[in-house]
Amino acid sequence: MSAYKTIWKKEFKDALRDKRSVLAAMSYAFFGPMLMAVAFFFLISQLTDPSDVEISIEGKDYAPELVEHLRENGIVERESEWPAEVTPIELTIPKNWADSIASATPVTVILSADWSAQKQQTDVKRVEQALQAYSAQIANYRLILRGIDPRVVQPVQIAKQDMATRGSKAAIIMGSVLVFILLSVFWSGMNVAIDISAGERERNSLEFLLSQPVSSQAIVIGKVLAASCFALFGAVLSLVLIPVIFSFVPLHQIGMSVDFNPLMLLTMFLALVPLALLATSLQLFVSFRAKNFKEAQTYISFLLIIPMAASFGVEFARLKTPLLYYLPLTGQHQTFLSLIRGEAVNWFGTGISALLTLVSAVLLTYLIGRMLKSEKTVFGL
Amino acid sequence: MIEVNSISKSFKAVNALSNLTFAAHDGQITGLLGPNGAGKTTCLRIIYGLLRADSGEALIEKVDANQYPLKARSNLGIFPDKFGLYERLTVREQVRYFGELHGLKGETLEKNVESVIQRLDIVTLADRKSAGFSQGQRMKVALAQALVHNPKHLILDEPSRGLDVMSTRILRDILREQRAAGTCILFSSHVMQEVAALCDRVVVMASGKVAAEGTPDELCQLTGEAALEDAFVKIIGSDEGIAA
Repeated sequence: MSAYKTIWKKEFKDALRDKRSVLAAMSYAFFGPMLMAVAFFFLISQLTDPSDVEISIEGKDYAPELVEHLRENGIVERESEWPAEVTPIELTIPKNWADSIASATPVTVILSADWSAQKQQTDVKRVEQALQAYSAQIANYRLILRGIDPRVVQPVQIAKQDMATRGSKAAIIMGSVLVFILLSVFWSGMNVAIDISAGERERNSLEFLLSQPVSSQAIVIGKVLAASCFALFGAVLSLVLIPVIFSFVPLHQIGMSVDFNPLMLLTMFLALVPLALLATSLQLFVSFRAKNFKEAQTYISFLLIIPMAASFGVEFARLKTPLLYYLPLTGQHQTFLSLIRGEAVNWFGTGISALLTLVSAVLLTYLIGRMLKSEKTVFGL
Repeated sequence: MIEVNSISKSFKAVNALSNLTFAAHDGQITGLLGPNGAGKTTCLRIIYGLLRADSGEALIEKVDANQYPLKARSNLGIFPDKFGLYERLTVREQVRYFGELHGLKGETLEKNVESVIQRLDIVTLADRKSAGFSQGQRMKVALAQALVHNPKHLILDEPSRGLDVMSTRILRDILREQRAAGTCILFSSHVMQEVAALCDRVVVMASGKVAAEGTPDELCQLTGEAALEDAFVKIIGSDEGIAA
């Protein structure tokens, strides 16, 4: 058996017996989707259950049908006092309402509110819209009564499809789910990577291992593969758990449907394989330079900021440049985005980014191998 | 046979070894004796190719460890300065791991692992994980790792440190056994009694140089002292760093 396989096998077995490593790999995959599902729950309940707007209505006895119409639209009379710092939203219905309606003359209702108050803007707008809708309804009746098609007075119709807020909020959360899956390969293998490099040094077994008739490249390859297995284990776990957990989230209520089909999950997994190799070789590169576990942990937490900043940055800044398709990490991210949106995947870009990721991983592995030949790194001189 | 030919090594401003030359022969135990900081560990690390000499060469069976480290090490059993065990693996798994790294496989591997475990009398420990082992038990496991591939050469860096009397005796027995089998054994120590009791030849090192070389008796004669310890003090010129 070649040396790297021996080392791979041993490190894997060793790490599997380390409860801390296994827990670290699993907890990320378990708790992350859970947390996200909870966030989703709250978002959906917020979006689908707009609470009633409470306003003061003067002279509601004059126009019971209007009040009923408002109530159907979620606008009700306020029972409690207005707080001191809030300007009341007040609708005044005049005494001559019924007469004016009956005689088909315009009637003026007064809507008084602070139009500059940010918090009340949506409320005021809803009242306004409800009033206009009522007005349009009456206009239509009148036209029909006079034998005129109401459409005559509506030469232009605006079809408003208000999906903006719901859609974008959902997209942000879906985007976070993708970033989460991407980062799983950075999180899950981290503990193992530290343990088999800085940990090996701390336990004083590094010198003996390096004194064996095995090339340092073989040692590093074995270690990268062992840590990558854990990284991918975490990735598989989150890829499997996310669809399961999200099947309990009522996404359809906000008009969203995400279909995590097995083929898509498999594609995602394959895209993550080179990324896992890059993540672990990067972590080994850093933690082989550390003198002990603690020091390596500090460095690696700083290192984690890079992929997090990169992927969240791309996600939230809505960065759009073709370069993103070809780079490591962002390339996988773009592939995931296309997959989840059901768009055509830029396979060429996906391939190039996979290749670049792999090349960087191999290069880093080679560099670590060289580093382990240097007495400076080995003995920390 | 291990030959060290005019090796020099410095770390930044510190001159660790200067023009060090000696040899360790097959079927003999050669002791590298010197006070703390004499350069013993540095010298041994150069021999197994973990450090690079600034000049000179270290040959194991005529193979330079700095040029062909893998070939040189395949002939070598090492008991390093720091031997950490893999505490989550059982003794048998650890010994087998290092056997595999030496290219052993299949039946030969299992046979070697079994025999080294028998020889070091660690059968009862073999299937236990090494967490919580005593210093003596850890020494035996480290020795088993060094011996599993039946090396022709054995390099030990202060193997007796931290061992009680019984463990020290076991270590000596094992080394004598290995010598009888024709192994070339080089070990470093600063413990006088041990060197006197065990070594066929002694290389006395002081501040990176060979201060004297010979059998324990020769060294005593050379200095006109009756005890090796006194001879040693005379040779290195001070009594600094000697543990009796």
